[in-house]
Amino acid sequence: MRVQFVLPYLMVGLAALLSGCGQPPPATFVLNKKTDELIPEARATVVAALNENFGNPNQLVAWQKFPINYGAAQPESASTNRHEAGWRLKEGRNLYMRHCMHCHGVSGDGNGPTAKFLNPRPRDYRQGVFKFKSTLAPLKPATADLTRVLKEGIPGTYMPSFVLLGDETLGLIIDYVRWLSIRGEVEIQLYNEFAAAGALEKDVKRAVAESEPKAKRSQVVADLMKTIDEELAETIESRAADIAEAWVTADLPESVITPTDKRVRPTPASIERGRKLYLSQIEGKKTQCADCHGPAGRGDGPNTEQFWPIPGTTPERKYEIVGLHDEWQLPQKPRDLTRGTYRGGRRPVDIYRRIYAGIRGTQMPGFGGTVLKTDEEIWDLVNYVLSIPFDGKESASPGDVQADSKEEVASH
Amino acid sequence: MNRFWCFFFTGAAALAVLFCIVGSGPTYRWWFPGPSISPLGAQIDDLFYLILVITTVTFIGVNAILGYVLWKYGSGKPRRSDFSHGSHTLEVVSSIVTAGVLLFIALYQMDVWYRYRVKSTFDREAVAHPVAEVTARQFEWRIRYPGPGKTLEDTPQPTDLYTVNDLHVPSGKPVLIKLRSEDVLHSFFLPHLRIKQDAVPGLVIPVWFQADKTGIYDLVCAELCGWGHYKMRGQLTAEREDERQSYLKELSKTQFDDGVAEKEKSE
Ligand code: HEC
Ligand code: HEC
Ligand SMILES: [Cu+2]
Repeated sequence: MRVQFVLPYLMVGLAALLSGCGQPPPATFVLNKKTDELIPEARATVVAALNENFGNPNQLVAWQKFPINYGAAQPESASTNRHEAGWRLKEGRNLYMRHCMHCHGVSGDGNGPTAKFLNPRPRDYRQGVFKFKSTLAPLKPATADLTRVLKEGIPGTYMPSFVLLGDETLGLIIDYVRWLSIRGEVEIQLYNEFAAAGALEKDVKRAVAESEPKAKRSQVVADLMKTIDEELAETIESRAADIAEAWVTADLPESVITPTDKRVRPTPASIERGRKLYLSQIEGKKTQCADCHGPAGRGDGPNTEQFWPIPGTTPERKYEIVGLHDEWQLPQKPRDLTRGTYRGGRRPVDIYRRIYAGIRGTQMPGFGGTVLKTDEEIWDLVNYVLSIPFDGKESASPGDVQADSKEEVASH
Repeated sequence: MNRFWCFFFTGAAALAVLFCIVGSGPTYRWWFPGPSISPLGAQIDDLFYLILVITTVTFIGVNAILGYVLWKYGSGKPRRSDFSHGSHTLEVVSSIVTAGVLLFIALYQMDVWYRYRVKSTFDREAVAHPVAEVTARQFEWRIRYPGPGKTLEDTPQPTDLYTVNDLHVPSGKPVLIKLRSEDVLHSFFLPHLRIKQDAVPGLVIPVWFQADKTGIYDLVCAELCGWGHYKMRGQLTAEREDERQSYLKELSKTQFDDGVAEKEKSE
């Protein structure tokens, strides 16, 4: 009889105990794999520089150099979170951890716990390379572009829409994403600097072997670190300044690709002109669209049947998987244009920008100003691309907006 | 320990009943589904309350009998036991009463079920002009409206309008949407309208409802569809027909934007 009474209490107690345990380990920023190629001393310098200027996920540092609104202190605010400067960054982090981290990773390296199940993989922000943007080819995305990606999601991929979070919340998250991207890029740039200075493990080994008279490794390293350390402060400052400027530039109105001529009406004639351009049948206009996207637009052009060289390898090595690859060295198919799914948006201006500037981080090149010199040509091509899902017969176009709505209202 | 079990069981039951009564008071409304904003939803609620009353009466009755038995035989006084081989009459009566109650519920709900699920009872106008196609996918709701003045076709049309997670429907009249799934099973759940319908890959399922009050309501996924199920949320915006038309017009303007007007503004 007694035991029967004690048992339930025991179980409830045990459950309470268990649920308190199992705290996850504290979040940390992980290093770029490349940084590990440096000698330990240089690697430690990178780590120290990152810690000093960016902190860690639990102790963020708001480096004022960058065009990011970290949130000025609002001592009067009802919310105590906002009393301290830097509150926007912290709030952005909390939201990012909740909504994005499991795909994009704590450090924004596109390697969160769910990432390995996804294709395409979540974006690795650290190169500062983004695909679906309105700015000129080499530039960073404008803030408005990131907002759009978050609101619309990226149809056809696992990047979902966050439109219901509202503008203010999205603003906080976007600033945190830009900050993560900047942090990642500072790390890569420091790596590049140090690697150029000879701080790669293999370079140091060679320097030791080739030194005349024979020098000790410790001596070579000490000399190397001395030169690095002397210029360190300046290096960090100038790299950061460049990155900051790139993000400022992206938000300037003149960085946005804006067609000057209105869209050509998607008449059969325009679509036909576009089709000819697509198939490179017009003299002097080798668009090569069909080489990648296939003559029927199914994403199965001859380029997808080749083995491509891996960029930056000497001697040249080729990818083991057939077909195109992206900046992150992952296999990638040209879009199947018959499906009518446009990851960067389906507005005519979106397709215009994709054709004008290409898609950064992918092998889709830009054609604006080079192969396609006039807006009219690009619009013809846009009209053709938008007509592919409808067998090239008609192109996505606004319905006759005027005719309808009054009757519509009246009839119900 | 004589009558402990009697107090224990009747006490627990009484507490449960009390909790439900208190729970139906104004401060504890969350316990109940809240008012429905659709006429059919109100009828579904009526069914819910009817069944609640039947089960409550049964619950109290059963517990009263249990309490009585525990009280009577829990005195601890030694007494002679008698043997019974059961009562035929009692068994027949209790079976018939239970079956009768179930049969009553089955017949009584048929009308609501019929109007909820049988397409021929749907509003003709709504069936002929579905407002949108909603495609569930992991983990969002992709929406396709017919262009202004057009009718929704089964396949995408050049004039179609697209959005995600925000379904706009006219209020105060029956509407029909076509439900699809792009990947796995999902369930289109509008709790305020008491609408729940599975989305099945390969099928186009008509779902109809009527939102009488304008406003913004939850749209959630009610079928465990993967790790992101919990965040597969959208919203239903019920608005006056003219508001909806201007919403669609705005949508059409953005969707067919060629970027040129944008420039004129910024200059
Ligand atoms: C379910 C996984 C998932 C979640 C959650 C997720 N993303 Fe993504 N995200 C992706 C994938 C996959 C891509 C890459 C799509 C591609 O390459 O076409 C991506 C791409 C991006 C891009 C790059 C867009 C471009 O133009 O290159 C940004 C920015 C982004 N996500 C931000 C976010 C933010 C901010 C959040 C949280 C609010 C978030 N993502 C949540 C999967 C996810
Ligand atoms: C070298 C190969 C290559 C060539 C040439 C090429 N593309 Fe692409 N294109 C791609 C790849 C790869 C993608 C997919 C990028 C991605 O997944 O983000 C793509 C994507 C697209 C998209 C989809 C954009 C979106 O938002 O989803 C369109 C439209 C497109 N290309 C049109 C064209 C047109 C028109 C041409 C010729 C003027 C062309 N492409 C030439 C490789 C190419
Ligand atoms: Cu779902």
